[in-house]
Amino acid sequence: MYTLNVNGTNYQVNVTDGATPLLWVLRDIIGLTGTKYGCGIEVCGACTVVIDGQREHSCVVDVSSAVGKKIVTVEGLSPDNSHPVQKAWTQCQVPQCGYCQPGMIMATVAAINAGHHGNEILPELGNVCVCGTYERVRKAVKTL
Amino acid sequence: MTQDTSSPESTPSGAVTDCTRRNFLVSLAGGLSIAFFMPSGGRTVEAAAATPDVQLNAYIRIGTDGRITLLFGGAEMGQGSMSGLSQILAEELMVDWNQITIQQSDANAAISYTTGGSSAVSRRYIPLRTAGATARELLIASAMLATGDTTRGNYVAKSGVVTRTDPVSGAQQSWKYGDLTVQAASPQAQALLPIPIPLTDPAQFRLIGQPVPRPDIPLKVNGSARYGIDVFLPGMVFAVIKHCPTIGGTLAATPAKPASAIAVVPCTTPADRGAMLKGTYNAVAVVADNTWKAKQIAKSLTVKWTLPASTASVDSASLLAQANLLLTTGVPIVAEPNNPTPDAATIEGQVATALTGSAKTAEATFTLPYLAHATMEVLNCSVSPTYTAGVLTALEIWAPNQSAMSVVNMAITLSGLVATQITVHTTFLGGGLGRKIEQDYVSQAIQVALSVKKAVKLTWMREEDFGHDQYRPMAVIKTKAGLDASNKIAAWSYRIVTPSISWQRGRTGLDSQAVEGAVRLPYGRGTSVVEWVNLPAGIPVGYWRSVGSSLNAFATECLIDMLAQAAGQDPFVFRTNNTTDARALELLAMTDAATAWRKTIPATHAWGLAIAEAFGTMVCEVIEISQPTAGALTIHRVYAAVNCGTVINPDSVEAQIQGAIIHGLTAALWGEVKFTKGVAGQTNFNRYRMMRLNETPTITVQVVKSSNAPTGIGEPGVPPAAPALANAYSRLKNVRVTSLPLFPGTTMGGL
Repeated sequence: MYTLNVNGTNYQVNVTDGATPLLWVLRDIIGLTGTKYGCGIEVCGACTVVIDGQREHSCVVDVSSAVGKKIVTVEGLSPDNSHPVQKAWTQCQVPQCGYCQPGMIMATVAAINAGHHGNEILPELGNVCVCGTYERVRKAVKTL
Repeated sequence: MTQDTSSPESTPSGAVTDCTRRNFLVSLAGGLSIAFFMPSGGRTVEAAAATPDVQLNAYIRIGTDGRITLLFGGAEMGQGSMSGLSQILAEELMVDWNQITIQQSDANAAISYTTGGSSAVSRRYIPLRTAGATARELLIASAMLATGDTTRGNYVAKSGVVTRTDPVSGAQQSWKYGDLTVQAASPQAQALLPIPIPLTDPAQFRLIGQPVPRPDIPLKVNGSARYGIDVFLPGMVFAVIKHCPTIGGTLAATPAKPASAIAVVPCTTPADRGAMLKGTYNAVAVVADNTWKAKQIAKSLTVKWTLPASTASVDSASLLAQANLLLTTGVPIVAEPNNPTPDAATIEGQVATALTGSAKTAEATFTLPYLAHATMEVLNCSVSPTYTAGVLTALEIWAPNQSAMSVVNMAITLSGLVATQITVHTTFLGGGLGRKIEQDYVSQAIQVALSVKKAVKLTWMREEDFGHDQYRPMAVIKTKAGLDASNKIAAWSYRIVTPSISWQRGRTGLDSQAVEGAVRLPYGRGTSVVEWVNLPAGIPVGYWRSVGSSLNAFATECLIDMLAQAAGQDPFVFRTNNTTDARALELLAMTDAATAWRKTIPATHAWGLAIAEAFGTMVCEVIEISQPTAGALTIHRVYAAVNCGTVINPDSVEAQIQGAIIHGLTAALWGEVKFTKGVAGQTNFNRYRMMRLNETPTITVQVVKSSNAPTGIGEPGVPPAAPALANAYSRLKNVRVTSLPLFPGTTMGGL
């Protein structure tokens, strides 16, 4: 049993294996499915969340190591799509299939947390988008 | 326009998650109205009593509250069909786009269709406009019945209100649509319908052609968009699939269930792929109480497989050798000329003579690899069986799928139930790209649910998704063409050897998809033959974005560039001189003018051109590249000119073309799945490189203004990308590129 703080709420999660990736705990146990499984090997970025303000790939974060930290997922950005990154993504009509976008958005949030603005954010976004929304991502990021 | 993707499942915590569901329930309480059915090609109006909403053409409901719902029978996988169809309906119903609620339909033979061939919007353009216009005219007829004035010119429908202006007094009377639906159902109203139904004059379009925001985007920026992989059901168990790593291998014995697992279920793939997979198990599903646990158990589970004798031949090197042999020894099927289709030997002889008589020739043999779909959302499916007194009585299925009726049919085959006992919910697709037309993953989930008799979600881990794809087929293409003294194409010989998707599914004869992009070219080709030879390879192949055009446009447009070089002409000039196709000429001229920059790029840069038609849409692309270091390539910019007929949503057209170009470039640069003795060598993104943001060029898209019928937009941006890149690279290196990918064996590092 571990206690995780996700989007400001404490969750008691019944997991016996402390090496279980945070990704699967968020999805299968807590039920926050905005965070996506893409590759499981920290290459694609679909599982990106923000932990203590920094970008992390939840597919390789052991649940035991996330205890006591503040975890933010895409669901925690705002109750009404009002977070600046969400607004920019909506304004620029970024998503196509949308599956990679929670990871892309959370990587952008982490870059902003690190003090980056506008085009400075771009080098921080290594997330894979098979739909190829990158031109729209650039457009959205410029406004941030 | 809002969106309702309601389905009754709950989150693991038990809370119903769909906050828009109430919209749908409200409209159900609308009261008496009509049902309406219009098969394609004809017009039939049927009144049906006591249905709660107006149901038009099995697509549309107008509640007595005035709420308009469009039932969506396809798959939304990012291509923007939902918004495109809503715009078309709103246009004819004379309402704003945000007055339409689009709702994903469960599988229904009257509504559901396969999403493929870039047809989701284009094929429904006229039927949906007609349905919308019929609804509008029925509502006006209902107002006519109220007033007794049947002069159509006295009525206007606008923004959900019908208004009659008295021609004498000028007095106006108005009715909301919702107030007219009951009478609109009556035979009297139908009798007043104008024939033919008047469609809105395109010059008066308010919405078609406008960049309307997509209804799915708000759900896709906050994590609430529910993909198949996000489905949770009460009491659900979780399965992962473990295939025989070797293609064609079968299960020797079902392994004993490890103590930590709920079950180990043998699975077959009862698809129509012949004896190889029929009736034999080629995978096991490991079931546990969460996905990660199931994956860990599957990883350590030892399974004995039986490998067929043919395994050794399921090998990239031997398949390439076999394909090269078939270039000369294979028995071809002539695809063109096709009216009439001549005997292969006769036409080949004529083309050989024409080639001999040509002033100049160019020839090359092109090689293209197997490709994976690599949809961001791995394959998955959830199934909930219902048992009554121990007997199976219903199946409910949630699947990210491109063909809901195929899911129903698969469920019937496996369960013995009838269609009315089967409910199929189509979720959002985290990419489809042609992969989610297939039913292998659906069939496995059904088999597991019927075995454990519980709700189950089956997920393919990424390694299974890559390792057991139904791949874009490889191809070897031998081409030779000749020019006459005036540099016009006088002879054209084209033979493609490629595995047939349709033959693997039991069909025979010419596989039109194997030659799409090689026939009906915009160029005059003199004495010409286009032939196909099947490559009987044991690797399952399927529909990859743009299908055969992804092979043939590469070879064709590279050959055209080689001919331009032989002629000593600029690629634009040569193409322009060799076509009389008005669309090609317009796109070439537009592209030439828009890419004047290509004349002033640095000497260390190069540009390439290609033009191709796919799914009725013609796209012309120019790509600028440079090579900073050996083995690397910088793609600076891409320009695309598009003729897709009438544009519904220019914002979606731009997004699709940009995405398709990235898709095509990614494959051309790095895409390849290699097989060694039946085992795929690329099983995750680290060895199947995808383009990232920092490698993406600027992509400018210009669309021709056209009043022709809309044509496909999801796929046609792909085919010209590879040849335009190869033509640029050939020019840069002064060596003709004949094989893709340009940089095989490239890996992709972690983030």
